[in-house]
Amino acid sequence: MDAALVETDQLTKRFGATVAVNNVSFAVKPGEIFGFLGPNGGGKTTTIKMLTGLARPTAGRARLCGFDIVRQPLQAKRIFGYVPDEPQLYPKLTAFEFLNFVGDIYGMSAERKGQRIAYLLDLFDLSDQADGLLGGFSHGMKQKVMLCAALLHEPKIYFLDEPTVGLDPRSAKLLKNILRELAAAGCAIFMSTHIMEIAQTLCDRIAIIDRGHLIAMGTFDELRELRGHHSLEDIFLGLTGTPAERGLARSL
Amino acid sequence: MLFLSGRLIVQRALAARRDWSSRTVYVVASAAGLLLFVMILAGSYAGSRTLMEAHAWALLWSIPSWAFLIYLFTDIFIAFGQALGDLYLAADMPLLITQPLRMSSIVVAKFVSGVLQNEIYVATFLVPFVIGFLAGTHAPWWAYPVALVGVAVFPAMLYAVLSTITILALRYIPAQHAKESLWLIGAVVPTAFWVASFSGIARASGDISTLQLPNAPVWLPSTWAGDLVSSLAMPKPLDAMVWFSFLLFATLVLCPAALAFISSTFVQGWSESTTVAPRTPIVRSRFVQPALPWIALFRKDALTLVRTPQLWFTHITSLGFVAYLLVGHRVQTPLLPLTVQLAMVQIGFVAVLAGLNPGMTALSLEHASIATLRALPVRSLDILRAKFAIAWGQTVIVISFGAAALAYGYGFDLGGTLALLAFAVLMSVVSVCSGLAFDTTFPSFAWENPNSINRGVRMVIPFLNGVAMLLLCAGMLGAARVLLHGNAGVVAGLIGSAFVVAWMASAGLRKALLNIDCLEV
Repeated sequence: MDAALVETDQLTKRFGATVAVNNVSFAVKPGEIFGFLGPNGGGKTTTIKMLTGLARPTAGRARLCGFDIVRQPLQAKRIFGYVPDEPQLYPKLTAFEFLNFVGDIYGMSAERKGQRIAYLLDLFDLSDQADGLLGGFSHGMKQKVMLCAALLHEPKIYFLDEPTVGLDPRSAKLLKNILRELAAAGCAIFMSTHIMEIAQTLCDRIAIIDRGHLIAMGTFDELRELRGHHSLEDIFLGLTGTPAERGLARSL
Repeated sequence: MLFLSGRLIVQRALAARRDWSSRTVYVVASAAGLLLFVMILAGSYAGSRTLMEAHAWALLWSIPSWAFLIYLFTDIFIAFGQALGDLYLAADMPLLITQPLRMSSIVVAKFVSGVLQNEIYVATFLVPFVIGFLAGTHAPWWAYPVALVGVAVFPAMLYAVLSTITILALRYIPAQHAKESLWLIGAVVPTAFWVASFSGIARASGDISTLQLPNAPVWLPSTWAGDLVSSLAMPKPLDAMVWFSFLLFATLVLCPAALAFISSTFVQGWSESTTVAPRTPIVRSRFVQPALPWIALFRKDALTLVRTPQLWFTHITSLGFVAYLLVGHRVQTPLLPLTVQLAMVQIGFVAVLAGLNPGMTALSLEHASIATLRALPVRSLDILRAKFAIAWGQTVIVISFGAAALAYGYGFDLGGTLALLAFAVLMSVVSVCSGLAFDTTFPSFAWENPNSINRGVRMVIPFLNGVAMLLLCAGMLGAARVLLHGNAGVVAGLIGSAFVVAWMASAGLRKALLNIDCLEV
């Protein structure tokens, strides 16, 4: 059995008296697309921030390919690509300059960097905009540049926080195909999404976090068996909503 | 409209309080403000009393107009930035525009909240001047409340005119270009004014009893406010009441009416400024040679600096300050004999000012992209190295040019020029390092435009730190001059200063490194 590429053990994050993430433990194996679902404010983004080194865990640990993200941040960061929930780019750089900058940070050679940038810009239909300032890009175009940056150095692990937000249907479909190919090549993909259809059809396993607690984890079939619902949406609402909310959702 | 103005003011006050939860920052900033208030009050009182006793009436009565004019041209940049930030770059504007509110109400409410914010500067700089001036000239008691009301409404006119210019400019010039190039104009115009007027004053000659400052332009609101204060001090009650009524009418009737009238133009300009215009490709950069992480970061920041005119204003004003020293040389030298050490302290002060903004915004300029940067495998040391290099690099280029210009203008030999250069470099290190330490302690990643993070409380502590270091080094230069004389004194003072700077810089950089290490996004 392959060793997990992403592994958390009792991961916890507190902000004063508020516990944003509480004792969360899971593992993502090579070749797996791991869907991370939860209501707004449930702890998804905070978990991803701890996994990517943007926030320090209050307790517990996270390992990426065996590297502890707190103790060995550089080694851990070299092996993942990250797409945040909002594409945060430098408005005064062009798309090409931004990708070149990211390539330099990852220590890529000139030849490999040049090839990868050209390939990815072409893949996401951005070649014509390569010399445009990022400040003038639409949300969807910025999201595509962010995806190019995450894919640039061909990492083993991908953290994607709502990656399809702002993408047009063609790009969203392209992304799904890319993720499947990456998984087939042995990469681990950790993805948060609010779109149940994507989680249901794309993810090998799904975890649901609510108020900081991991309340369910398994394949779609396992969750369905456990909760006795037919769709992931019903399972999600059954786990995270109050009876009143579920009734309201039905009436709406 | 009143309700909206009230809400905006409360929101602004709350935002400031939430941004600055540290009590120490408030205490230090308030203490510095109070000290400045007392110094201006005492200076104004002593100066006007001296001129009165010397019967220098012409000079005395021309001072208020010039004081207000200097304030006007200093504040013009701040008020312009505020007008732009409150109207075009305000984060709440999309929300306000979609509410069932009249556009005129929104513009006037923004105007009122902007003016009230500007009153902090009035309270710190103009109020002590006016009180000191009236006290020094033995003005009657009723002159004080009238003068203070006149002074309080003064920024409203300035802000209204600048808001109108901004609205009109952004209606006809594409916003993406205008909001960048207008910053440059906003920096160049006051700087040129300062240098030109000081040059005029420096050329004035004659006996103190006959000396008079050149007439201030009569069409400027600063002259109206200055004439009000002079009339009150003389005292000429009728003249004072005419100016007072005129100021109130212009502020309370003309300004809001003009803003409400022009607000329809604002909607059109705002709509165009928020529409994503197709950007012309600006570079065909295909530079793929691998670079070390800190060099890649430096290159990224250098490209941002070159393409963001707002970030150049600090350097324009620094060079303007050098020009101001050069034209003021004739006035100053008879009072305070020019020595290499004095020139070193002067250029040191310019270096403190020049390095302040680049240092204290180095990390904050990452804006929301800090999340992207922190997720990349880059060491905190590399981030700090790049931030220091870009902040100090831009400062040292400008300040070296300034030091060379000052040395040439003062007629120093090679030794004096090198001493000026060396001291300017040392002081720029102090300024940048204290700015970096402060910026990494209180980073601000949620700004609307790059200049807004330079203003207010943020500026005070690193500035005071820079001035304290400068005074310490000036003390060393002075002591070395007394003990050793000549070039040996200069060299000894420089060596002592270098030790102070090395200590401060290493402490500042260590603190900054620790802060970057612990930074959570």
